[in-house]
Amino acid sequence: MSEQHPQNDQFITRRQFIQMMTGLGASAAVAVALSEVEVLRDLIEDQLALEMPDVRGEDHHDAGPPGKHHWGMVINLETCIGCEYCVYACQAINDVPDDMRWNVHLVDKTETGDTFHMTRPCLHCNDAPCVSVCPVYATYVRDDGLVVMDYDVCIGCRYCQVACPYDARTFNWEAREGPSGYQAVWGEAEVERRPRGVAEKCTFCIHRIDRGLKQGLVPGIDRAATPACVNICPVEARIFGDLNDPDSPASIAIRENPTFRLREDLGTEPSVYYIPPEGMTI
Amino acid sequence: MIGALRQEVRAAPTFTAWILFLFGLATLGLIAAIIVLVNGLEVTNLSNRVPWGLWITVDLSAIALGAGAFSLSAIAYLLRVKSFEQISRIAVFVGLVGYTSAMLALFMDIGRPDRFWHPTVYWNIHSVLWEITMCVILYSTVLIVEFLPIFLESNVVKSRFPRGPQIGHFLHSLTPFVAILGLGLSLLHQSSLGATYGVLVARPVWFKPSLPVMFIASAVAAGATFTLGITVFYENLVRVRKITWRLRNQVALFAGLMMLAYLYLKLWDYLATSYYSHLPARVNDLELLGRTTPYGLTFWWGEIIFGSLVPAIILLTPRLRKHDIWIIVAMVLAVVGIVVNRWNVTLSGLIVPLDWSPGAAEVFSVNPYRPNLIEWGVGMGVVAYALLAFTLGLRFLPMFPGEEHEHDHGHGPSHDDESGHGGEPLVKMTPRA
Repeated sequence: MSEQHPQNDQFITRRQFIQMMTGLGASAAVAVALSEVEVLRDLIEDQLALEMPDVRGEDHHDAGPPGKHHWGMVINLETCIGCEYCVYACQAINDVPDDMRWNVHLVDKTETGDTFHMTRPCLHCNDAPCVSVCPVYATYVRDDGLVVMDYDVCIGCRYCQVACPYDARTFNWEAREGPSGYQAVWGEAEVERRPRGVAEKCTFCIHRIDRGLKQGLVPGIDRAATPACVNICPVEARIFGDLNDPDSPASIAIRENPTFRLREDLGTEPSVYYIPPEGMTI
Repeated sequence: MIGALRQEVRAAPTFTAWILFLFGLATLGLIAAIIVLVNGLEVTNLSNRVPWGLWITVDLSAIALGAGAFSLSAIAYLLRVKSFEQISRIAVFVGLVGYTSAMLALFMDIGRPDRFWHPTVYWNIHSVLWEITMCVILYSTVLIVEFLPIFLESNVVKSRFPRGPQIGHFLHSLTPFVAILGLGLSLLHQSSLGATYGVLVARPVWFKPSLPVMFIASAVAAGATFTLGITVFYENLVRVRKITWRLRNQVALFAGLMMLAYLYLKLWDYLATSYYSHLPARVNDLELLGRTTPYGLTFWWGEIIFGSLVPAIILLTPRLRKHDIWIIVAMVLAVVGIVVNRWNVTLSGLIVPLDWSPGAAEVFSVNPYRPNLIEWGVGMGVVAYALLAFTLGLRFLPMFPGEEHEHDHGHGPSHDDESGHGGEPLVKMTPRA
């Protein structure tokens, strides 16, 4: 038998079994005890903190010390009249292709059947799905809460479009020529046109914010440092500001009104807050 | 030169016609590809709402059908089932063709093909797609190392580069280690291709943790079936048995059991997400899919019954699988099954709209998608490349043990009578031409 199938005839003795169990128990006890030693505990916590995805850790462009500002927007659906000026200004200033929108307008209804106007820029999520899926880190969240793109790194895979819960991503399907159809009326382009084959998105007019801060202006208060869609709104339905500053227009609006954010259930933590229209319960 | 060519053509007119047909198809594909590269992706029917389309199906199907490479090599070199070594070469070759086809499709699909190398330099380790890209690049390297011995032993190389077989032999001795690497990398990215969709919380049709497991299970089942089918088809072309009857049964059994395992997982995936539980968003989306697309029909008939159940029955029934024609039927069905499955999975989540508006009105409509001629052209071009590679590889390279000296002569199928199986010699050397 054992010639054909060499086998192990050594069974476990009671002594071995007890030794093994004691050894395992003692190791577990030592491990638990060690994890309570302060130095080691800090080490473990540091390690865990390292392993947590922290998309804000990597900063390509500097915008002041980490977390000094957090740019956010409040959109008042009660006052919005659906004139679409914010859409047109955005198209012109950011030189967005005519058949695409960074900033969209929809006509929607409340549960009571009343019509209201819904507009949506990029929501600049703190935990943005488009950032975590990007294979090359072409999209990232800055320390000031802005979700921005590096057009020179983007490979055009469009996973960000697929992942964004708010359809806020557009793609440059073709090379563009000629001016945007909106620029004659709504203003000159302030940013460079994106090349064919890369994704893009609303930037909260990052060029105005960054330049304005250098000039000592306050985004949300000084028009030169404030997004185009906010400046153009005839009924002041869009309010912009630093959410870290309790006295900014945006912080005040959030404090004084009931607000909600889109798809909070997804945990994306948008930086855009909405004041509900009449008849909507939140 | 011309004379020799004419002789060759006369000796194998069908082969010549087939090659010409494939070249024609590949040329059409090349023209379509050039149109895309010159004009950009605007020439496709892709849009901001449906940014991924036909090419993604081509690429995922090609990768899935190449899964025979890692599973059969792992059985041969890690579980040390000696008999599987006979089929591991063709499996590796099928894998290499599958992965290169997928990379071709992906290259066409990205907006900036000139930056295809970016993921190797700009790392986002939190992205499933980055993991996939790295795994596919590394695994393709593994496949090349596994494939090189076959190439170096071929007569074409041997006659010009006498040291070729020696190097090939050295590389071949590394196979067990390379097989471990290949197994790990394959398991990782075959699964994470499913995770690409599974992690997108915002789209309830896709979002479920089962997708990575479904992808690997279906790929292993269909990949093994495909490799076996190609082998049996080739045996019929050259009228010589290339693998033993025992191995044929073993591979069929393996593929059939994997197919059953996949069906079992799929059954519970369906039951757990659509029968025993109801996530309102998912129920709505599936209902919308069923109403606006042939999703229900293609799911039950294309994926389940003809795509998995029938091939599983064929592969597991000795009376059926002993006939070559049934093996071929099983292969064709498995291929159709995997293509339909990848199409359904990759598009379902895009066709149903995202609903992010806080209002009660249905402001978002279903996003229709139908590939246009250019997309079909590029897709067909990739398929033509794969078929051309299979044809030329089987024709000129020693894919099966004992073939090293065989391809000296012309091709033309010999009509020697191959009687019976079982006890017959494994490879019967037939005089050619």
